Amino acid sequence: MTLDPDVAQEAIEYCYDQGWSDGLPLVPASRPLVDAFLAQTTRKPEEVIGHHQQVDRDVTVELAAINAAMAGCRPDYFPVVLAAWEALMHDRAGGSGAGWQSTSGPAPLIVVNGPIRIRLGFNSTGGVFGPGFRPNATVARAIGLIVRNAYGIRPHVLEQTTQGLPGRFSICFGENEEESPWPPVSVEAGLDPQTDAVSATLLRTCEFVDNRHTQDPEQILWDLADTISRTGSLIFRGTGAGVVFGPEHANLLAGAGYSRADVQAWLVEHCGRTRADLHRAGKDGVGENNVRYADPEADPDDVTFEKILSEPAHVPVIVAGSRNAAMSMVVRVFGLWSGHAVAVESTASASE
Amino acid sequence: MVNAILDPTGGPARVRDDVVLATPRARLRGATIGLLENTKHNASLFLDELGKLLVERHGAKGVLARTKLAFAAPVPEELLEELAGSCQAVITGVGDCGSCSGSAVADGVAFERRGIPAAVICTDAFLVTADAMAALKGATGYRYAVTAHPVAVLTPDEVRKRAEQVLPEVVALLTGGAASEGDGR
Repeated sequence: MTLDPDVAQEAIEYCYDQGWSDGLPLVPASRPLVDAFLAQTTRKPEEVIGHHQQVDRDVTVELAAINAAMAGCRPDYFPVVLAAWEALMHDRAGGSGAGWQSTSGPAPLIVVNGPIRIRLGFNSTGGVFGPGFRPNATVARAIGLIVRNAYGIRPHVLEQTTQGLPGRFSICFGENEEESPWPPVSVEAGLDPQTDAVSATLLRTCEFVDNRHTQDPEQILWDLADTISRTGSLIFRGTGAGVVFGPEHANLLAGAGYSRADVQAWLVEHCGRTRADLHRAGKDGVGENNVRYADPEADPDDVTFEKILSEPAHVPVIVAGSRNAAMSMVVRVFGLWSGHAVAVESTASASE
Repeated sequence: MVNAILDPTGGPARVRDDVVLATPRARLRGATIGLLENTKHNASLFLDELGKLLVERHGAKGVLARTKLAFAAPVPEELLEELAGSCQAVITGVGDCGSCSGSAVADGVAFERRGIPAAVICTDAFLVTADAMAALKGATGYRYAVTAHPVAVLTPDEVRKRAEQVLPEVVALLTGGAASEGDGR
């Protein structure tokens, strides 16, 4: 068979001309291709899996399949796309749809657990936040295309992101279950280890913490707490944050006796700032609507410590990346990390 | 045979084409003014101040102030009914974020369709999204009152000044009259 690059290019340009693209070339979706996606699920094409109240538009399984195909997914990724979408619908900011229009321009964080990581080739080790792996790149991109095309929420119009962040619609990875000292996120959520699952939330940003020259677990935790506690991220009384641990930090902590719950509890206890620090940054007042503001009446020398993380269950602790250096990523949650995991429909049930 | 390229959007938006603007417009003298603030910083003060000015200078009887907690979502049906049932005009806002700007406009259109003249307050950083939402709601060209961005950073005195500045526009929107004249004078 001879492939015709000129025809392919024409089809790609056609998709650009329709305004469907996120900026990168799309795979033109044909009926046979989309049917191959739909064959991976028992759900009916017309089933509505998302409704945006304010723009009054629906996402159906069919539209999700078209957008996933256009994003470059393989048909067998489709159940993961559906689970990721469902996980985002359970998320406070993703489900309401407010996150898609926000000036914050938050990025979905999509975490995959279970054997499907291996079967489909999700990267869970070196470079999980970076490029290079088709499932990681295209599943996240599919979510972005669904928002853009099915909801019609496009930049500069209904989407009003001020600056956004690098990685919007590209953060999706497997948890590194093989090198994690703790149970998978999906197992913490109550699922079986053999169950394929997706957890998701929206992020404001990711910030690295590089600390490779200590064996003291508390020093690692304090280093993480310093990044989590920076005043710049505080808008409300509290904030949402957690850590995607590199395996080295995770194993150092676990070796010192820290469970995931211990780490979560430690961070809730130690992340925060003194009122004097908050005053200096104009964030010491808290209004009725829970928003921080500069309180001119406050005592600038008040050293009372204000904790900023709400409760341990809302602090994501995930393990991913390579064990080749001791670094971890602070992830800043836009809404609320629920810890909920959505099981991925098995393709066996679809073909029955 | 060549396959067609499939459309990922699900087709054009469902747009209503019924009449949008409430008629007649409001008579402010003796009217109860609904204030629907959206929890954004300074929104409550901004609307309260407008309500106060409408009472003091335009003979409105009083205000009914309510809060919409989910600022990105449509005004809940009960809240819409409550305000529409007790008020002769409504002010919504302040639209000064990505989702709440469009949402404030959408609420204004909802009140208009319910027969209640509305004035939406939006900041000038969100005109595109406000206009796009109006069009989505079948109200292309819907007029709203614009104040300079930002509002959230202002001191209480500055918010009051802003309310005073936007007052003529709010009066004009609600009464359908000229921006400079008070209602019923």
